[in-house]
Amino acid sequence: MKEEISLEELEIRSWKKRLVWSWSFTIPIVFLMYFSKLTGMMLFEEKTMIILQLILAFPVIFIFGSQTIKAGFRGFYTFYFSMDSLIALGTVIAYLTGILQFVFDIQDYSGISAMIMSIFITGKYIESVARGKAGKEIKKLIELGAKNARVLRSNKEIEIPISEVKIDDVMIIKPGEKIPTDGIVIKGESSVNESMITGESLPVDKKKGSNVIGATINQYGILYVKATKIGQDTFLAHVIDLVEQAQSSKVPIQKLADKITSIFVPVILILSILTFFGWYLFFDELTKGIGAAISVLVIACPCALGLATPIALTVSSGIGAKNGILIRKGEAIQTMKEIKFVVFDKTGTITKGEPEVREIYSLIDEKKLMLITASLENLSEHPIAKSIVKKANLKKYLEVKNFKIVSGKGVGGSISNKKIFIGNEKLMKENEISLKSIQAKIDDFENKGYTTMIVSENKKIIGIIGVADAIKEDSVRAIKILNKKGYKTIMITGDNERTARAIASQVGITMVISNVLPEDKSKKVKELQKKGKVAFVGDGINDAPALKNANVGIAIGTGTDIAIEAGDIILTNGSLMGVVKAVNLSKATFSKIKQNLFWAFAYNVFAIPLAVMGILHPVVAEIAMASSSITVVANANLLRRKKI
Amino acid sequence: MKKLFIEGMHCASCASNIERSLKKIKGVKSVNVSLMTRKAIVDVDSTVKDDDLKKAISRTGYKLIKIEE
Repeated sequence: MKEEISLEELEIRSWKKRLVWSWSFTIPIVFLMYFSKLTGMMLFEEKTMIILQLILAFPVIFIFGSQTIKAGFRGFYTFYFSMDSLIALGTVIAYLTGILQFVFDIQDYSGISAMIMSIFITGKYIESVARGKAGKEIKKLIELGAKNARVLRSNKEIEIPISEVKIDDVMIIKPGEKIPTDGIVIKGESSVNESMITGESLPVDKKKGSNVIGATINQYGILYVKATKIGQDTFLAHVIDLVEQAQSSKVPIQKLADKITSIFVPVILILSILTFFGWYLFFDELTKGIGAAISVLVIACPCALGLATPIALTVSSGIGAKNGILIRKGEAIQTMKEIKFVVFDKTGTITKGEPEVREIYSLIDEKKLMLITASLENLSEHPIAKSIVKKANLKKYLEVKNFKIVSGKGVGGSISNKKIFIGNEKLMKENEISLKSIQAKIDDFENKGYTTMIVSENKKIIGIIGVADAIKEDSVRAIKILNKKGYKTIMITGDNERTARAIASQVGITMVISNVLPEDKSKKVKELQKKGKVAFVGDGINDAPALKNANVGIAIGTGTDIAIEAGDIILTNGSLMGVVKAVNLSKATFSKIKQNLFWAFAYNVFAIPLAVMGILHPVVAEIAMASSSITVVANANLLRRKKI
Repeated sequence: MKKLFIEGMHCASCASNIERSLKKIKGVKSVNVSLMTRKAIVDVDSTVKDDDLKKAISRTGYKLIKIEE
């Protein structure tokens, strides 16, 4: 297969070629120009000197610089002026002075014209290399995908290119090999290194039924994986897409810079004409007027302004991707600075989202209690229901009639004509079931942070089941750091006040919003927003509206199970430390953007007037211009040094 | 949504020129030109032909090399 050379690489190569050629003609010019100045000896007669310079400068401007010249002058009849228009006009005028000086009494700038073009090309070359560097993490992501896959076709193992893998193909992945595409393990056990995609350094255990992500690396066992997603639908493809989107998304702070960029070139053209006439008419300085006008043309640089934000975003989204943080909207970077509240969903965010039964308090035979409870819960898909079914571990269930789910409260139904309810206190109260006899035990369970499921039979309590969801390893640490940074951390949950408080205090959160039905989460976010900007951290499963409504929505998940569309920022590994990193990265990026914009503005504000005043020699002006955009790009690359 | 791959775009004013030119086409709802990725993401209705996009880009002096839906 022929490797495709990227556009960017082609661009770098073409600038490099022009760079070498243009300098091989420009260096002799420099030598000619300065030899006599430095030594006082004349190599040639002045006329010959100028002719030599004109000959040497011609290819630099009109051959190696032809692309710039063509694109630049095109602007004068299409009225789409670009930076090329400035350079083209500047160099051509400078070149023409070499010819015009035979007729008028003006200084010859023809040698200078070649120097300007060569410096411009050099600047563009350095800039394109540095820009390539800015996107290196993203390039790595793109190259991450597997090229081939070993699949089972009519019971034979064959190796095929990745593009020929179909959904439901069974892929065989040996130790050390890359998993070709997203899928589900159907046979085998192993651990998989997912760090390239999630930033999580520890390998993740995989067994039958586990989801695996394409492009991650199988560690030690043979895995048989059924392909579930291919091509543009894979997780890796989504990640790449997101990172590219982030690169081209807009940050509000750049609006002014963009506006200036769009009118910059015509304004400079006019300014340069005014400069020339100013010097010529008021001071009768033709030569100085031409020099100053050329300086104005070549010093003005819309590039630094226009690059300031996107280059920082590019570097940042690359660093983010490496750490499992995907920034979907550039705006989030700016908003993050103003966030006051960080609201965490409990289940699946602070906790692992895998509740398990911790304690059973039975008023009847425990086996019977579990049989009744599991028979009803078996009909529900809720994670708590599943944990009870798992605990009961039954092969046969009782027949349930009139089963119903009461959202946010529990379930009900009848078993051999007895009315059964399983759920929280609200459900019991709704059905006028007295909790008096068991209240102390309920309190005890809740103080331990258990979600307490009360079981009633014909309006009589027969037992309670305490379910708890283990807290993720990093949650405590992450919340401690956020608290220290001055954020008000809040936990939101459907649990009742007491249970919620118990869990919150275990992780170090002081403010709790409890008893919230899933559909009310976004309402609570809106209420908080009256007091300050809110970041909402959730898994996007039942809190997608809250993620959308928050000022910054941070969707958290593991591997492929992420609600990508719901968040402004997406964390691909489940750890809450990702929130801390996302905050740090956003802040670092935003301050880089501000720095870059400041330098770009300052540069133009100071340099242009100097050029108008005729203080800057055109060559100095061109060097300054080239270095201004290189500075911005290099400064953005420095973002990598920041520890996040 | 269409992704346009553009060649020759090397400066900020190029990007804003391309954006301006694409926006002039009737039926183009939104344009986002990225200098970094050298791509333009355009939201167009069905009346817009690929050729219109190509012309709008070449009018500003750049080359459309590929369109991805």
